[in-house]
Amino acid sequence: MYGWIWRHLPGNVWVKALLSLVLTLAVVYVLFQYVFPWAEPLLPFNDVTVNDQ
Amino acid sequence: MAVTTDETEERTDTSETAPKRRRMGRIAMAVSVFGELLITAGVVLGLFVVYSLWWTNVLADREAGEEADRVRDNWQAADDSPGALDTKDGIGFLHVPAMENGEVLVKKGTSSKVLNGGVAGYYMSPVKATLPTTDKDGNFTLAAHRDGHGAKFHNIDKLEKGDPIVFETRDNWYVYTVYETLSETSKYNVKVLASIPRESGKKKAGKYITLTTCTPVYTSRHRFIVWGELERVERVNAERTLPKELR
Repeated sequence: MYGWIWRHLPGNVWVKALLSLVLTLAVVYVLFQYVFPWAEPLLPFNDVTVNDQ
Repeated sequence: MAVTTDETEERTDTSETAPKRRRMGRIAMAVSVFGELLITAGVVLGLFVVYSLWWTNVLADREAGEEADRVRDNWQAADDSPGALDTKDGIGFLHVPAMENGEVLVKKGTSSKVLNGGVAGYYMSPVKATLPTTDKDGNFTLAAHRDGHGAKFHNIDKLEKGDPIVFETRDNWYVYTVYETLSETSKYNVKVLASIPRESGKKKAGKYITLTTCTPVYTSRHRFIVWGELERVERVNAERTLPKELR
């Protein structure tokens, strides 16, 4: 999978490495900005109140 | 140009070996993709931990800090022009020296939307909190996160009987003293929020404060409760001199 991505990135090794880094950062950004805030309320880690339900 | 020739050489190299590798077996291929997916899942879960325990704190502290500044600005402005106080950004600050986390902004409601802003919220449901500013007997019930989103009650287990909890409003310092803690209770135990919290041993009406958060740390399995009783109310003076408990 990652080998396939690596082979399909353009340029020489340095360009590929740079593009990989950019791709990784983009994925981390999407996770922190959109995926985790969406997933968090669905997971039972952060309820602090007492309630009836 | 040397680079490009190098590259084409590399390419032809891989294209020569690639079919060989593919012939090596679909199973090997599937296993390697599966392995990479597992590694990815592990990394994503690790990132989620980083997000929960660090990044949400950064965001929440930033948001709460801005709101706290607005509240203090409002208080300042209200001094000059009397009228209804704007409490949208918060009604005051909680100071708990034993928790060693400075001041915690207090806002209305305990929805995750409110609490995720790095504040303590006072209960509107299932039992409505009695605000100390009303001067009535009752229970000032609060909730805040134990971890992540500012983790304002992280050190709630450091509180002991006799420790002060000070609530600051524009005009008053409300000084409470902790008289009972409950290190673990069910999350459905709404009785702890009663205006006379009998579980803490009180039978008469009075001015109480109740802090609730989740326990053990990093989970939401149970609830940690701390009860305090109002000891005295101090007027805020022009210099906003701290009460002796906070000095």
